[in-house]
Amino acid sequence: MLVYGFGQRALVGGLVIAATCSLISFFVIVRRLAFVGMGISHAAFGGVAIGIAAGINPILTAGGFCILVAGGIGWFSRKGRLHEDTVIGILFSAAMAMGVALVAVAHAYNLDLMSYLFGSILALSWVDVAIVAVLGALVISFLVLFFKELLFFVFDEETATASGVPVRLVYYGLLITMAVTIVVSIKLVGIILVSALLVIPGATGMQLSRNYRGVIIASMGAGLASVAGGLWLSSRLDVASGATIVLVLFAVFLLSVAVSPRRRYVAALLGRGERARASAVAEDVTGKAVVNAGVPDV
Amino acid sequence: MSRACKVSEYFDSSAAGPRTLIELDDVKVSLTGHTVLEGITFSLDEKMFLGVVGPNGAGKTTLLRVILGLVKPDQGTVRVIGMTPRELKHELHHIGYVPKAVLFDPMFPASVFDVVMMGRTCCIGPMRFPRKPDREAVRESMQLVGLEGLERRPIGELSGGQQKRAFLARALCRETRILLLDEPTSGLDLPAQGQFMDLLTRLKLELSLSVIFVSHDVQVLARYADEMVCINRTMHLHGKPADVLDSDRLAEAYKCEFDFLYRTGPGAPGAGATSGARGGSGSGGA
Repeated sequence: MLVYGFGQRALVGGLVIAATCSLISFFVIVRRLAFVGMGISHAAFGGVAIGIAAGINPILTAGGFCILVAGGIGWFSRKGRLHEDTVIGILFSAAMAMGVALVAVAHAYNLDLMSYLFGSILALSWVDVAIVAVLGALVISFLVLFFKELLFFVFDEETATASGVPVRLVYYGLLITMAVTIVVSIKLVGIILVSALLVIPGATGMQLSRNYRGVIIASMGAGLASVAGGLWLSSRLDVASGATIVLVLFAVFLLSVAVSPRRRYVAALLGRGERARASAVAEDVTGKAVVNAGVPDV
Repeated sequence: MSRACKVSEYFDSSAAGPRTLIELDDVKVSLTGHTVLEGITFSLDEKMFLGVVGPNGAGKTTLLRVILGLVKPDQGTVRVIGMTPRELKHELHHIGYVPKAVLFDPMFPASVFDVVMMGRTCCIGPMRFPRKPDREAVRESMQLVGLEGLERRPIGELSGGQQKRAFLARALCRETRILLLDEPTSGLDLPAQGQFMDLLTRLKLELSLSVIFVSHDVQVLARYADEMVCINRTMHLHGKPADVLDSDRLAEAYKCEFDFLYRTGPGAPGAGATSGARGGSGSGGA
């Protein structure tokens, strides 16, 4: 596949998207933004429909629209006294409904629309690859440069605020980078499957490490390997590339669950880790942590 | 630069008498149309331990948020280290804050070291990464609270008491001069509460900290505080712990919800627990 230009472009674009998604996936998991990702990606359908109906590049309209929806989710949930999931439920269904209505009015049910729903990585041009690379670099730069602020914010928003962290900027920044990542990723796996790229790599990382450095490295590994493996497999089996990538990612996640050091809890439930469970209970009852053994209490 | 000078000037000036670090004058705060605090006037000198007590919903947390500059008063003035809340925004590394309860996921993938390092965020500055002095400051403050050796432990694996100490270390690993604590001992059993309070008293002396400690537990605070303020929307009392415990106005502040605690509970005036608390307040304030 790599001997063809489209294959090379797909691989380069796919890997950039995988790296971007895998990094933001860490924050999606620890801040529990999976549903926000679902909401923004489905709302992108409305943006794509605007582009198709108006004859503008649908990725541009989807980008603008997703950023608006992401900002709306943030604004309503911070100001409107509504929970994040409620706001998402309202905005994404309204955006999708608008998309369906616009597509019907424009009589645009065609192959083009399908490519946005299910991805068309093999149709990537070098200009597309360059756009993906620039946007990916912007997202990664934001996440790296503001990493400590983002980490503080997702761990303990109140103290972060009291420490002078610009939490509003960090929160909206995270939502907007998510929106940009989603729009870029639509090319790879499509609107329907894009949330898999935002959730599964981070979830895989969480299975394999208990520190964010390890989680991010594992997330990156899972994302990059799945995209490369998925593209290769889809060309061998002649199956849609987006779906294959997601299935490979899911297989990698299952593998991570099987080998996870955290599974000692499963082992405990099965009776093999009885001692580990017993010491955990002892910790609760006495109020003195077993982990504190050997460390003088103050 | 000029602001940093202002803070060091404030502390270097050899003005006679203790410096006032926090000054609130006739502060009134409304949130969503309701008055939460009204007529709040008090000051805190350096190296003093001020206990703020009051029933649930009395506005204690809001008071801390006013001091931190996170809530803007409708009326009155606030000065912290001689600065207005606007100026303070750039000097928050002089204030350590320990929140009421940090509701984090026990699976959160960060070590104790990483969590304490969060306290250095405002010292490191935006778009910069921790360096050697930051790591040293984190290690030092972990040592101060007795958590050395647990640097690499995931934060979710610590006991409740250890987590509180980790959050205290996070509040101390900067250029902390004022420590604001919002019911930091809630959820701890009695021995762990005592350990935390003893640790706090020791650190206050060692690091010359000024402390504001918010709690609804009058008895515990009275043992450790130099001064106490009792609020329930408005100021009810301000004075030495023994005077506050003796005053009828304490019951007045708690009246609607907590009357039984003070009047008929084991800590009622004359009961052993209270006299012990008063004795303790003398030594705590020494």
